[in-house]
Amino acid sequence: MTTASADRDPVMILLEAAASGGAGWPQLYPGSRPFGYFCSYWPEELILSLGREPLRLLPPAAAGVPARLPAYCCLPARACLAAGEAKEYDFLAGAGFAHTCDTIQCLAGIWPHRHTFMFVPPVTMDSPEAGTYFKAELERLWRRLAETAGVQSDAHQLQRAVVLMNRIRSLAGQLDELRPQLPSPLVAALMRAGQLMPRAAYAASLEAALPALAVKADGVGERRRLLISGSILENDGLYVMLEELGARVVADDTCTGYRHFAGLVNERAEPLAGIAARYAARPPCPCRHQYLEARLDYLLALARRRSAEGVVLVVRKYCDPHAWDAAAAGDRLREAGVPVLVLEMETSTPGGQERTRLQAFLECL
Amino acid sequence: MAKERRYLPLRSTRYLGRTMQRYYLLTRYQRLWGRPLKRPLAWVTSGAPVEILRALRIDPVYPENYGAICGARRVAPELCRAAEAAGYSPDLCSYARAGIGAILRPDLAPMGGLPRPDLLVTCNNICGTVLKWYEALARRFNVPLFILDTPFVTGELKQHTVDYVLEQLRGLVGGLERLTGRRLKPADLQKCISLSNEAVRLWGEIRNLCRHRPSPLNTPDLFVHMAPIVVLRGTAGAVAYYRRLYDEVKERVRAGQAAVAGERYRLLWDNIAIWYQLFRFYHLFSERGACFVTDTYTGGWAAGLAPGDPLESLARTYTAIFLNRSVDFRVRQMVDLIRDYEVDGFVMHSNRSCKPYSLVQEEIRRRVMNETGVPGLLVEADMTDARVYAEEPVRNRVQAFLETLEMTV
Repeated sequence: MTTASADRDPVMILLEAAASGGAGWPQLYPGSRPFGYFCSYWPEELILSLGREPLRLLPPAAAGVPARLPAYCCLPARACLAAGEAKEYDFLAGAGFAHTCDTIQCLAGIWPHRHTFMFVPPVTMDSPEAGTYFKAELERLWRRLAETAGVQSDAHQLQRAVVLMNRIRSLAGQLDELRPQLPSPLVAALMRAGQLMPRAAYAASLEAALPALAVKADGVGERRRLLISGSILENDGLYVMLEELGARVVADDTCTGYRHFAGLVNERAEPLAGIAARYAARPPCPCRHQYLEARLDYLLALARRRSAEGVVLVVRKYCDPHAWDAAAAGDRLREAGVPVLVLEMETSTPGGQERTRLQAFLECL
Repeated sequence: MAKERRYLPLRSTRYLGRTMQRYYLLTRYQRLWGRPLKRPLAWVTSGAPVEILRALRIDPVYPENYGAICGARRVAPELCRAAEAAGYSPDLCSYARAGIGAILRPDLAPMGGLPRPDLLVTCNNICGTVLKWYEALARRFNVPLFILDTPFVTGELKQHTVDYVLEQLRGLVGGLERLTGRRLKPADLQKCISLSNEAVRLWGEIRNLCRHRPSPLNTPDLFVHMAPIVVLRGTAGAVAYYRRLYDEVKERVRAGQAAVAGERYRLLWDNIAIWYQLFRFYHLFSERGACFVTDTYTGGWAAGLAPGDPLESLARTYTAIFLNRSVDFRVRQMVDLIRDYEVDGFVMHSNRSCKPYSLVQEEIRRRVMNETGVPGLLVEADMTDARVYAEEPVRNRVQAFLETLEMTV
């Protein structure tokens, strides 16, 4: 298994993992059989506690078109299903779905592997009954995962997993603080690597990389400071284009970006209750409801804290939750004087149309 | 060339018209008569536990039913355009877009739109869209939003899920009591539940009568006559309406009258109606003697509340509705309907507006065909937004399907 070592540049280790997109796991990390999962609401700690590595399943670039989903379904779901049907995920020990949107619910129902788990977090997370339900749902999931893996669930191992994931989240937080001073595609790739490689190795590599990154960090300069919000961005294409156009992502609220890492589990709490509490307190995705304006308040506060000059709300085609929030968030941010661009994208690799729209937006800032 | 066949209209349709006119008239002027009586007006989703609201004298209004009206009256595309101009994606649910469009452009909306609500109640047992839609409404109207979160049921309904929904229902009752200044009387709730159960029972019986050969009803009849079970559930008016309808349908069965004269094929329908094409689309089938004897959608209102603690019963029933269930459950449901109604083929409306209903249909189609040997057709359209309906391809696919049926039945 790859770990950070003196003879390899830790940044290169991380970039290699990010570039693999997860599909390269068997070659990069032979001997380990990861457990695939969708959505950042999937509790990685449970997988780690059972001796498996969690691997976030991101849509592969060259996926086919699955007949079992219609064209009006989002590309991430269609591409992942196509890869699953083509047996590209046969190296996985299983697949986990955290219930988020209607599409994920449907994808879980037709996922072509035997060991498929659906876990249903509450939508309204801030009530005591939601906390009780969430913990019970986590307990049930942990039990089922352990039974399938043929191992005993162990509270001590779970606590160790919590500590490891907290370490990763703290390191990702440090990286996020450096974000305005680093090239945007680099930060995006380093964040993504944390979902695509063995977690202890990621923690070691990122810890080793951070001092060098801090040295490299320079000012934003003349670049336009942007906040990016959206769901899954499985490659760095958008970040590359923004840098080419003279912008810098100074704040990130994407599902594969910092939102995945935000918040820590209270290590003094009972682990499952602590995991549930972290999700409840985390910046919400559009599929969750803390209070009516929670997400809009968060985006506006984030934009102000990072002095963003504009916000790009990325909506993947046919992604209903983000499309709904784009209307409300756009209104709220504009009312507060923050320019907004709603950028609809089919794939996460932007093309000419996206370039033109981004260019026009940046010229207006 | 097949001969054109006669479609038998129901006498109850006139009574339905009067019932619905009365409901919408009362709704339209609710602000005038309801306020002096301290009866708040709530916009609610179709899967919300309306019995609690009625017991607290809160008058419910159903934007989804209104969306169907906008579709049937063919004004939805204009209303959707108004919502899209305000930033709502054309890929979002067309009931929601039409509803928001009706708020923005009441001049284009049937009945001038719905009256402004005092509160909103949403239950996500039908989809995730209703959460986002009602958040948008809450921002627009600046009124309290009550959310009932009914977690998706992956296999069997679990006790910790029931407990969670039950606690929320208790919270909902408390919130509504504070809002209305009234206490929920157990007798009032029980009365609403009893009325709800009686209407649901009658609706189920009416649907069951379609097992008869020939079927006394075609599914468009069910789509038209389901309106009271949605908007008047929990009232004596709904019970009275469905008693009358039951009697008429029973009379048809006794007389051997067919909804589609010369019934040759018995079909099953899956998904919401194509409202703007309701009779024209189904005519493609009825003119060849094909009758839709059952469907999965209107059956969603045929599940009664179990006896026992009323709130727990509400928690179980509203969480376990079919759209909140797994693919396995839905396959089983269709296989059972095909067996019970002696169905020769099934047609699935791949409805761009309703992702939880539609995205798994191809999988269900394959599994149901494998299990029953009955052919299934998938037709892509939208329940309300006529702009995405491609008539010729639909007609061609339907014709090819019916020709297949001719060879197999």
